[in-house]
Amino acid sequence: MSAVIEDIRLQPAMVVDDVVKRFGRGDELVTAVDHVSFNVQQGEFVSVIGPSGCGKSTLFNIIGGLLGDYEGSVMIGDERISAPHPAVGMVFQEESTFPWRNVIENVAFPLELQGVPKSERMDRAHHFIDMVGLASFEKNFPSQLSGGMRQRVSIARTLVSQPKILLMDEPFAALDEQTRLLLGDKITQIQQELNQTTLLITHNLTEAVQLSDRIVVMTYRPGKVKRIVDIKLPRPRTSDVVGSDAFGHYVAEIWNDLREEATRGMADSESAAARRGSHG
Amino acid sequence: MAATGEMKAPARRAVAPAIGGAPVTARAVLLVRVVVALAILAVWEGLSRSGLFYGEVIPSLTRIVASLGKLLVDPVFYKNLQVTALETFTSLAIGAALGVVTGIVLGANRFLMRAFEPYVYYLSPTPRIILFPVMIMWFGVGPASKVALGALSAYFAVALSTAAGMRQIDAILIRVGRSFRATGWQMATKIYLPAMRVPILNGIRLGMGTAIITVLLAETKLSNQGLGYMIMQVYTRFDMPGLYAILIVVFAIAGACNALIGKLAREQV
Repeated sequence: MSAVIEDIRLQPAMVVDDVVKRFGRGDELVTAVDHVSFNVQQGEFVSVIGPSGCGKSTLFNIIGGLLGDYEGSVMIGDERISAPHPAVGMVFQEESTFPWRNVIENVAFPLELQGVPKSERMDRAHHFIDMVGLASFEKNFPSQLSGGMRQRVSIARTLVSQPKILLMDEPFAALDEQTRLLLGDKITQIQQELNQTTLLITHNLTEAVQLSDRIVVMTYRPGKVKRIVDIKLPRPRTSDVVGSDAFGHYVAEIWNDLREEATRGMADSESAAARRGSHG
Repeated sequence: MAATGEMKAPARRAVAPAIGGAPVTARAVLLVRVVVALAILAVWEGLSRSGLFYGEVIPSLTRIVASLGKLLVDPVFYKNLQVTALETFTSLAIGAALGVVTGIVLGANRFLMRAFEPYVYYLSPTPRIILFPVMIMWFGVGPASKVALGALSAYFAVALSTAAGMRQIDAILIRVGRSFRATGWQMATKIYLPAMRVPILNGIRLGMGTAIITVLLAETKLSNQGLGYMIMQVYTRFDMPGLYAILIVVFAIAGACNALIGKLAREQV
């Protein structure tokens, strides 16, 4: 499908061009992201995959505008990202719902910041809560929900601001495998329904193949682009795709690239743990 | 697919199991409390009738109740109550406002926190009453000196509690606010303050306790109005039932205020 989009020659939704990020100074200088370039087309689902320590989260923070000081450029239209941009909606890996707000108040939060009148923001919040399948939990507080449900609240909260690009950092990392597959289904469904341009940061191979049109494979420290793989699995897609031969083929192919990086990462993990702070 | 394949997780706050065998039920707890209260009253009455104590030191319950009834219809009592309540409320409002601001500034800034920590920590347990003579010189013998002293004592409790609450805010919530491009004011009112509501209210509860203590104490030392002053008046008259009646009223009011703020802190956490 991505091939078709490329043929239309639309301007990409986002261009990541030669991005470099270093932390520390002198002898302790660590290059977290090393000359990374790729772009994301309108409506495309792109995953960035790599072992822990490949600079994925740094890249997430740069694209989200939370880390303004970097070299190179992340462009949306003709704007260089250096602060949180209205076109980018972030979903975090950590538990990030507001415990003092119920589901609908959580989801309406971005609209509240924009000064949208109450009745309108409740309507819009309701629409996206319905989309993530939590319609009967609107009045519940996060403490009354499961981890997977709370993560769906976070996703709805980001979608309600109608970002051009949905940027997610391992949103399912804390969940069990079954929940993860089902949530993946939900994400695919929503993405296809909204034609939502999405960039997913992950270390989970099956998740990346299940969801993506393209996968950017990163190397272990310093984080460079090792390869970009087109995933030509049919759309519309469901989690059933996980059983297909083509799926297995992609997983094996990408694992081949990842194995070397993961092995290096593992060998390095002890010294990396000792190093001050993780730029993972 | 609401909740498909997802187990409903236990609530974030788990209740610790009771130590010891019997399950803790609200009724059993209430029963014990009532029994303890009745036992204290019985012992009191027993001592009062035993004649072991000098005269009026332990007056009988009936006399205390009679005094309490008289007190509650005495306009002088209400005038004094009003003075003390106003002093306490004013000192708490001033102390808490300054304390919240200080707590936020110290909690938000690591450098300032390290610089000022020793002052706050070592000054806060110092009995404020020793500063009373200074306050009298600065603010006079009227309510102002009590308010100043009460504010000072409430201030430390609120500042420490707010600073601690500030540092306990989940960093992810702040990143969420930034990612949605919240303004500074929106960050403060929609993220920081609600996230710190419980520690701030706990600080105010502690601050209120010390403000009441300090104000009453100051009133007993040097003043011509307020409940503290009234306590000293009945004491000099050696009106023991009257004294106990005032104490009961003070306990009841302080307890009610405490319960009210505690309830606010627990709501919708």
